Amino acid sequence: MSAPRQPREPVLPPDAVDTLLRDTTPWLSCEECFERMDTYAEATVADPAHVDEAMDTHLRGCAACDEEARSLIDLLRA
Amino acid sequence: MTALSRDEPRAAAPSRPHRGAAALPPGAAALPPGAPVCGRHDEPDPMDWVAALHGAGAEHAEALRRLHALMVRAAAHQVWRMRSALPDPSPGTVEIIVNQAADEAMTALLGKLDSFEGRSRFTTWAFKFAILQAATEVRRVQWQHREVQWRDLDEPRASAHDDPESHAEGADLSRAVAAAMREVLTPYQRRVAVALLVDGVPIDVLADRLGTTRGALYKTLHHVRVRLRVELTARGYLPTRPARSRGGGPGPAPANADYSEAPTTHTGGVR
Repeated sequence: MSAPRQPREPVLPPDAVDTLLRDTTPWLSCEECFERMDTYAEATVADPAHVDEAMDTHLRGCAACDEEARSLIDLLRA
Repeated sequence: MTALSRDEPRAAAPSRPHRGAAALPPGAAALPPGAPVCGRHDEPDPMDWVAALHGAGAEHAEALRRLHALMVRAAAHQVWRMRSALPDPSPGTVEIIVNQAADEAMTALLGKLDSFEGRSRFTTWAFKFAILQAATEVRRVQWQHREVQWRDLDEPRASAHDDPESHAEGADLSRAVAAAMREVLTPYQRRVAVALLVDGVPIDVLADRLGTTRGALYKTLHHVRVRLRVELTARGYLPTRPARSRGGGPGPAPANADYSEAPTTHTGGVR
């Protein structure tokens, strides 16, 4: 007779672990990200090496804002 | 597990009144061939948009017409980028979404016109309204007939395949993160984290279903990450790092703080 099956411990997929542990400091809200997105995009187009730590950190942590910032940059480059 | 769904799903239907349409002159969506909408991002704006949009008469009508063309251009750019997410990416559906997003973005922009400070070109500033609206609209359409599973970490996903590979060799770090989620997060924080980062629900779709905002959910997510990083660092899974400025924001969540941030109203409906 086989032993009763134990409930499986949920295993988080690697990409979920990665994004759950992403360091999102310094803090920037989505609202502040939107306010700064136009100047950030222009600066990035003018200088691809442009660094804005707060914006870059927020965009790594917020997929929606990241898509929109990338899209704006692409539109300016078009 | 609870499923979150919209009470009244909005269809991308041409009959839906466009909020911005009333402010537009006839034929506002179309520019004559060759008409300049905007120049390069590093060139000065050819017109004083704020003055023109605050003005009256023919100049005002022309500014509205040009602004709407800008919005259509940016919305079309965004919808095209995300077209693979649409259940129906036919040209007709895309056109409806583009025009709807452009109209709503234009309304939003005109409501914030006086906040334009000239730190970027006006056209760049305008584009971001249309991109935000179009992206949000595509995600909404993508999920309009899908339930959001409002589940806790230990509740299985309803449609998940029972993949032995995904269970057999769970990494030590993965288990540690799951354990930390049970111990240091509130049920609300866990559910938000699972929905956004495990189940892949777009943040504005979840915000809509919960009757909250993208910003509020991102703040919750930030607190989730801070708490997990503190816990995983204490357990030796993450390296310690020197303290640094947190930019004047909400900072780390104290262990005993109530950051449940559960919205008190649910306009999206809960089943």
